Amino acid sequence: MARKISYKQAINEALDLEMRRDPTVIVLGEDIVGGAGAPGELDAWGGVLGVTKGLHAKHGNRLMDTPLSESAYIGAAIGAAACGMRPVAELMFLDFMGVCFDQILNQAAKFKYMFGGKAKTPVVIRAMVGAGFRAAAQHSQMLTPMFTHVPGLKVVCPSNAYDAKGLLIQSIRDDDPVIFCEHKALYGSEADVPEESYAIPFGEANVVREGKDVTIVSYGLTVHRALDAAEKLAKSGVQAEVIDLRTLSPIDWDTVIESVENTGRLVVVDEANPRCSIASDVASYVAQNAFGALKAAPQMVTAPHTPVPFSPVLEDLYIPSADAIAAAVNKTTARALAA
Amino acid sequence: MTPKVGLIANPISARDIRRVVASANSVQIADRANIVLRALAALKACGIEEAVMMPERAGIAGHVLRGMERARSHGEDRFPRLSFLPMPVTGTVEDTRRAARLMAASGDIAAIIVLGGDGTHRAVVGECGRVPVAGISTGTNNAFPEHREPTITGLAAGLAATGQVPARIAFADNKKIEVSLDGGAPEIALVDVAIVTDRFVGARALWRIETFRELYVTFADPEVIGMAAIAGLIEPVSRSEAGGLAVTLAPAGTAARRVRAPIAPGLIEEIGVEGWRRMPAGSVFTPALAAGAIALDGERELFFDPHQQVEIRLVDRAFRTVDVAAVMRFAARNGLLVSHPLAAADA
Amino acid sequence: MTNNPFPLSKDELLAAYRTMRTIRDFEERLHVEFAKGDIPGFVHLYAGEEACAAGIMMHLTDIDRIASTHRGHGHCIAKGVDVHEMMAEIYGKATGACRGKGGSMHIADLSKGMMGANGILGAGAPLICGAGLAAKFRGDGGVGITFFGDGASNQGTVLESMNLAAIWNLPVIFVVENNGYAESTSVEYATAVDSYVDRAAGFGLPGVTVDGTDFFAVHEAAGEVIRRAREGGGPALLECKTIRFFGHFEGDAQTYKAKGENDYNREHRDCLRIFANRVTSAGAVSEAEIALVDREVASLIDAAVESAKGAPLPSPRELLTDVYVAY
Repeated sequence: MARKISYKQAINEALDLEMRRDPTVIVLGEDIVGGAGAPGELDAWGGVLGVTKGLHAKHGNRLMDTPLSESAYIGAAIGAAACGMRPVAELMFLDFMGVCFDQILNQAAKFKYMFGGKAKTPVVIRAMVGAGFRAAAQHSQMLTPMFTHVPGLKVVCPSNAYDAKGLLIQSIRDDDPVIFCEHKALYGSEADVPEESYAIPFGEANVVREGKDVTIVSYGLTVHRALDAAEKLAKSGVQAEVIDLRTLSPIDWDTVIESVENTGRLVVVDEANPRCSIASDVASYVAQNAFGALKAAPQMVTAPHTPVPFSPVLEDLYIPSADAIAAAVNKTTARALAA
Repeated sequence: MTPKVGLIANPISARDIRRVVASANSVQIADRANIVLRALAALKACGIEEAVMMPERAGIAGHVLRGMERARSHGEDRFPRLSFLPMPVTGTVEDTRRAARLMAASGDIAAIIVLGGDGTHRAVVGECGRVPVAGISTGTNNAFPEHREPTITGLAAGLAATGQVPARIAFADNKKIEVSLDGGAPEIALVDVAIVTDRFVGARALWRIETFRELYVTFADPEVIGMAAIAGLIEPVSRSEAGGLAVTLAPAGTAARRVRAPIAPGLIEEIGVEGWRRMPAGSVFTPALAAGAIALDGERELFFDPHQQVEIRLVDRAFRTVDVAAVMRFAARNGLLVSHPLAAADA
Repeated sequence: MTNNPFPLSKDELLAAYRTMRTIRDFEERLHVEFAKGDIPGFVHLYAGEEACAAGIMMHLTDIDRIASTHRGHGHCIAKGVDVHEMMAEIYGKATGACRGKGGSMHIADLSKGMMGANGILGAGAPLICGAGLAAKFRGDGGVGITFFGDGASNQGTVLESMNLAAIWNLPVIFVVENNGYAESTSVEYATAVDSYVDRAAGFGLPGVTVDGTDFFAVHEAAGEVIRRAREGGGPALLECKTIRFFGHFEGDAQTYKAKGENDYNREHRDCLRIFANRVTSAGAVSEAEIALVDREVASLIDAAVESAKGAPLPSPRELLTDVYVAY
């Protein structure tokens, strides 16, 4: 039975269902219970934004608050995964990867290959990504390309509540380390989500709007900006197809190429900084593999190559807007928007 | 030239297994350095102008020098000059032995302040000859060094070293026990020699009571920790009286008499006791056990086989210590630390 | 009265000696073979430190996990990883423990509880907390041991992990193999207070320092900390003061060491010699029995080198396997 729940509730529900299904699933992170050892309520926070609220009451000590020691507890989650558990570690903000990156880059990502296929590391690292929260330069980044660059990691970034639930369930069941990126600006967004458990396979992009004139590829928050742009473009007669990648590693090249072969035009929208980004990656892949289908040069709409600014007026300029996406589409169609 | 005082601070005492099998504390490096600074300040207050310290590389010296530098930069003249013995640092007990040997040989060291437990003091006493020792307890088994604020030990050492308190009052004679295998050069113990059924040295400390068989002590004080506590709780023998005590132990299950003794910090165990007798100086004792290990001051150091001859002998007046209590009593009685500035101005 | 004064049976004594001898011969042989140029990459030898690995690992079974270091051959051998597979791995062969994809610094065998040698200093400490956590959830009585050197003791990961292990009361032992050198830098220079027991005390962990060249000291102390951890007593630290016969890596001229230091250590502080002298002089094991182990190990190492040299190289296709997606 589907009903409307938020992206945040969908994540909570995925954790709850998987913890019920599999006793080796444990959840650890800073403040994920919230209030451990403090004089007030034990389950006071349930995560810094309340994503894991209520799970402690259901699953007890399988949820563990950690000290502010990202290297230690992310590493412990990875070590436990190598020893047969399926830990879900919350890094709170993906920006904090700088503190513990070795454990992700050199440990989790490498075990399977480095040990000749004899190890599996089924760990999920959940973290918030993205701007729009006025959280400034160290709590707002879209660092997905940092992880897609690393062989051995899977990278997921859902754009809606339905995908969040199904992709998180898949992440927990997956035998490889998964970086699960939750866009904090989407936590309140609602969608129809079935009550039962379901997994969305990795590497399957979602065509969220069909169109014949241009392919807009994105993930996360900017999928919604792309849809807004498509809506505007439709009024001027441009039919944009919008593809939500959902998983960035593995990535669904087939859907992207097939779409570009139909539309002949590509705009990639990425909240990450432009160089070596998901946008540049998709643009170059398409140029290499569907050059003959292209009627115009692919366009990228990304954040500028700057840190995320604090002042709301600047931050709003930082995130790719529907207008910027529409403008990029217009470059590919060489047609101005209907005046 | 004023006399010098030597300082030997062992950075590696209090690191053994008794932190795991018992609840022994570990006196941290920074604490040890602060103890040295307290003792140095006390020496200076008594007129000692120069101190010589054993070098080490575990951090005590660095911390001490920083403390002295800070005082100097504040314009304070609180510490004597400090130098370090020119000797290599091995990070083992050999450093302690070598430092004590060099201090004894220098001829101008009037007393040695030692920071450590029974083991460290044993190493110093084995080499320091007649130079008196002032012990500060920073070890695990601290039956030998008395528990006292190190500033007071420093004051007493300073008053004794400078001759402000006469030697006959300031310095006390102490007993030791010698143990030799097959007539070889003896090893010594300052407090106790235990014979245990283990026949290997391993992690050294003693805590498995079922292995305890014999015990020889120089003094038996009911207030101390370690093997000597067993003797102390049966028949106290003071540090100053002649002779020691020899005790025959047995597994608690089979012994007629049992004593609950604090054999390690926080570890109070029931030990079976078969019997005991006085241990006069000079008499040779031989263990009844044919083979086992010999623990000196609580640490397995030697092991012996059935074909080896073990001789255990108590020695009176073996070495000297600073009698802190006597020195401080004398100082008080004679006003050594009292001055009368107003009376002097009047005169 | 038996002739064996030690807390181990004669078979166990011989097994301990065999482990140490296997490590020593493995490393001495690698030293020779590396100089011939047949072995690719970086090789960090464990020779001189054998008593640490052997003394600790004798208390473990396959359910117990270890996280090793870049100097990991000794830990692997003592934990039961196959010597032939190890040698083949170091030669980069398809028959290696990691099918030639890991090399000297990444030998692992999870079926033996060996979670990998590790090229990142201090990285094993968080991982072993995870192993301890898993053991605790499973309630299988397993313990985790992480090894690190005096150098890696200054990594934040190690200190963070001591705190984590303490607050979660994990069955984890932190073993510092203090050989005095972090690569070429002395422990006295690089470590503000070079007492690891002090560091452990800062996290409320009991710590023990033992002579790492004395197998019996390591074995006894390790037995106590491991038993304590198994019984729910929580984490502890064990510092083994040890020595490294060779350089940081093969090819290191070791000019930072004192003149004659290696010779002195081989003469006076060789843990194998100390062990052999002690058990033979006590009559627990005969010299002939020691010599037999020496011969058997020598032929094992000969065979391992020979089979590694003759083993097939990984097929080019292996480049793209063992990773979920490869391009």
